[in-house]
Amino acid sequence: MKILKKTLFYLLAIVVALQFLVPLVWMILSSFKIDEVIYRDARTIFAIIPKFSDLSLKSYVELLGFYNIFGNLLNSLIYASITVVFGLTINSLAGYALARFEFPFKDWILIIIIALMIVPIEATILPLFLVVNEMGLINTVLGYLIPFLVNVMNIFLFRQHFLSFPGELIESAKIDGLGEIGCFFRIVVPSSLNMYVTVGILTFLASWNDFLWPVMALSNADLMPIQVALNAVFSDKYNIFTSHIMAALTIVTIPIVILYIVFQKYIVEGSMRSGIK
Amino acid sequence: MGNLSLKRFVKVRNPHAQRYKRSEVTTAFGFLTPAMMLSLLFIVLPIILAFTYAFTDYYLLKPHAKQFIGMNNFTRMLTDEVLRTSFFNTLQFVLLVVPLQLSMALGLALIVNKKIKGNSFFRAAYFSPAVLSLVVISILWTVMLNPTSGLINQMLANFGLQKQPFLTSPSQAMLSIIFISAWSGCGYQMMIFLAGLKNIDPSLYEAADIDGANTMHKFLYVTLPALKPITMFLVITTTIQAFKLIVQPMVMTGGGPDYSTITLLQYIYEYGFRHRNIGYASAITLVFTVFLVVVSIGIKKLFKEEAA
Repeated sequence: MKILKKTLFYLLAIVVALQFLVPLVWMILSSFKIDEVIYRDARTIFAIIPKFSDLSLKSYVELLGFYNIFGNLLNSLIYASITVVFGLTINSLAGYALARFEFPFKDWILIIIIALMIVPIEATILPLFLVVNEMGLINTVLGYLIPFLVNVMNIFLFRQHFLSFPGELIESAKIDGLGEIGCFFRIVVPSSLNMYVTVGILTFLASWNDFLWPVMALSNADLMPIQVALNAVFSDKYNIFTSHIMAALTIVTIPIVILYIVFQKYIVEGSMRSGIK
Repeated sequence: MGNLSLKRFVKVRNPHAQRYKRSEVTTAFGFLTPAMMLSLLFIVLPIILAFTYAFTDYYLLKPHAKQFIGMNNFTRMLTDEVLRTSFFNTLQFVLLVVPLQLSMALGLALIVNKKIKGNSFFRAAYFSPAVLSLVVISILWTVMLNPTSGLINQMLANFGLQKQPFLTSPSQAMLSIIFISAWSGCGYQMMIFLAGLKNIDPSLYEAADIDGANTMHKFLYVTLPALKPITMFLVITTTIQAFKLIVQPMVMTGGGPDYSTITLLQYIYEYGFRHRNIGYASAITLVFTVFLVVVSIGIKKLFKEEAA
């Protein structure tokens, strides 16, 4: 009885797992086939089980001949890295000031930040486009990146984190002759690395996955981040076969899989804290 | 996430600490300046602009012909058929995807919470779609749901079932998007439910055992009540997220066929960005934003009342 129950449970777990894995396995396998083979195999088990004689790198070679995918990939990597570095600095400085110092209008600033957290960014994206347009920064990297460096949710998360930071550590560092800025970068940041990595990874993923804002802010193909370029490949009805699309999807997914494997713990922890996704 | 109850976060000031140290004030504002400048420019200003443009007929290509037209944009919304369709499409998406996705997530969490061999493999497998970006998911599924040659139709044929039009049919397109969104999003929420399950005090289950409770009873009277705070958090975040649906219909269907998948945010995007009709799009933006804020406060109230 117990063995039967256990077997049934495993069967359920495996069937459910297949639901999630089959599309991904099919995507990766198809990227190594030519279209005739993809559609020949679609009704057989070879759609998701590799038959090595059928696999080749042909679609990758062709895709990279048509499109500068690696260029777009590099764009995304640069954009996301800049957003992480400057975003973390700006938001954590603000969060730290709100947690540690006493100054006029502090409560008001805090209330405004909390109020802005409720306003969905997507809803204001159209007027944001107008602001950037007025500044003459549409279709420039600067205009694309600057608006999303500041993130009120992250300011708030940092503020909550720094509230419990031991003040004695800072006081003793001051006695040793460090100024406020020195204290922040030499004492506070190094001892809050966990927090920085968590927020940093989430910022990186949000930037990497963003689609709507780059569609509006960047129309130059050379500047496009990978998500927009991917959609352009997909919309190309003349040159592109299914195998090319699958190769593009696979290339785009690999860096993120690596990121998830390395930073798994931080991502789950961070999304629980901020409720993203 | 009680970010609405301001009092919890704002300290009541000690009246003796009213005098600020000058050096401290200077440093504080120095630290705050970059964030304040950027938020004023890119968050506060757009909100103010949306407010003012909503009452004008601002057309981006003729910026100088902008005129104040009072409530015209708002009365126009009442008779706009496509806007009504986008609203009901969005509502349909929210009402179906939230329960579907969350119950899938809870089911998955219950499976991987069992102490069996290989449960870390199952956890990784169930989580795997969450790694993909929305654009990747949308493209992959559009190819798989192709009405003639797609993988899903080929598999259906193997079971002797008829081919389905999926995204090309007005009656199936939104349902397909709902399923795909739940499929790709539930892994995240599984992890959060799982953390909640691990936090339940085992002695509660022991006590239930002593009282002779069966598995179903334990789930209904121990597990579910213990997960209530997490469920509330997930319902709120998923609902708000769902109201902002745009990438999937943009990539998969372009809002079609026959406006069957166009969403509110997409409609704003089409009007404001594609057709450059800023005035009308700003009015919709305004109503949409207020609506979202009211919804999130409403859900919180609802849960609080039930808890009381």
